[in-house]
Amino acid sequence: MLPFSIHLSDGTPVSDQILLAVKRALLMGQLRPGDLFPSVRTLSQELTISPSTAHKVVAQLKDAGWLNSRPGIGMVVTEPDQPEIGDRLEQITPLGRELLREADRLNLTLDQVIEHLKSL
Amino acid sequence: MITITDLRKTFRRTEAVAGLNLEVPQGKVTAFLGPNGAGKSTTIKCLLNLHRPSSGSINVFGVDSRQLGPASFTEIGYVSENMKLPLWMTVDQFFNYCRPLYPNWDGDFEKKLLDQFDLPSKTKLKDLSRGMRMKAALLSSLAYRPKLVVLDEPFSGLDPLVRDEFIRGLLELTEEEGWTVFISSHDIEEVQRLADRIAIINRGQLALDETRESLQSRFRNVEVVLPEGSNLPADIPAEWLHAEMAGRTVRFADSQFESDAKLASSLGEHLPAAAAPQIHPMSLREIFVALARAYRLEGN
Repeated sequence: MLPFSIHLSDGTPVSDQILLAVKRALLMGQLRPGDLFPSVRTLSQELTISPSTAHKVVAQLKDAGWLNSRPGIGMVVTEPDQPEIGDRLEQITPLGRELLREADRLNLTLDQVIEHLKSL
Repeated sequence: MITITDLRKTFRRTEAVAGLNLEVPQGKVTAFLGPNGAGKSTTIKCLLNLHRPSSGSINVFGVDSRQLGPASFTEIGYVSENMKLPLWMTVDQFFNYCRPLYPNWDGDFEKKLLDQFDLPSKTKLKDLSRGMRMKAALLSSLAYRPKLVVLDEPFSGLDPLVRDEFIRGLLELTEEEGWTVFISSHDIEEVQRLADRIAIINRGQLALDETRESLQSRFRNVEVVLPEGSNLPADIPAEWLHAEMAGRTVRFADSQFESDAKLASSLGEHLPAAAAPQIHPMSLREIFVALARAYRLEGN
């Protein structure tokens, strides 16, 4: 079992979806600093994805400062130094893009959309 | 890892493989797709020296496929849907039979897979279900930790649960350095997440060979609305596949998508009256269907 929730959907690249799901789990406390992160093998088996995709995801998370490799243990979750508002906003970027596109198709202005969001 | 050069294989008058060129890179999972009869199994059999190419050649780890012998086969795992197994043997007997054939057989790994696959050791292979038998075949091809795993339609007739177990077993080998998988299927659904690369064979020749990422980034499903009374112009770009019109809506698959801006300018040029464009990424399956229609994929 994976320590974060993900439902892979078609269309967008699998690695992007996993990155987003892992960051979400971190931001919401489902994963915490110090937790052991699944190995490349576990990731690929649980999600039935290619090992190189799983490897890429782990490398990207490591580069972004979310994971740290501990010799003999594996990958451990860490907290990145950068402010996390950007990461939290990033979570709603796909939804936001979709909202803006739909608004555009419906001939709604940004102000109208914002007003509507505030009224919800 | 594997280089196929102008491979041809003829059976009597039928040309099963008709000049196939393909490179299978090391360390990746390559899906080899095509309709039944397109030449997938023949290619794989040539690759494993089970068939002799009529002309052309296949190079596997630097060895010509015609020279592949026992030493090379300890580095290659092969499972095929039509594999002939010694059905009179029990599961135990079968593994006892395989073990001495491979100096690199890993007994601990065998036990791990045996446990994971839940195979009944005292049952004869002929009394196993198809799924169980395929798992036994996979185990016998993984236990010596091969560098290359070749799977010919491994999932056909397997129920989803067994298929999942099969893939998990296969992925037990992920930590092997430079581990390469070449997997044939007529159904992209079975391999769509697993594959790093997609190669499509059509009528014995290569129709496409691309990374899954590049395929997914260049295909978009596009929908636009035209004004009342408009018709779809005849001169739309060739890379817009299967353009169709229903009511006022035009739909097509853009096979050369680069950016929203580029598509917008292309739309401005070819469908200047189009409004409300909706652009969606496509699943590998949708892309495969679009390509299949474009190539008119057929077997021989």
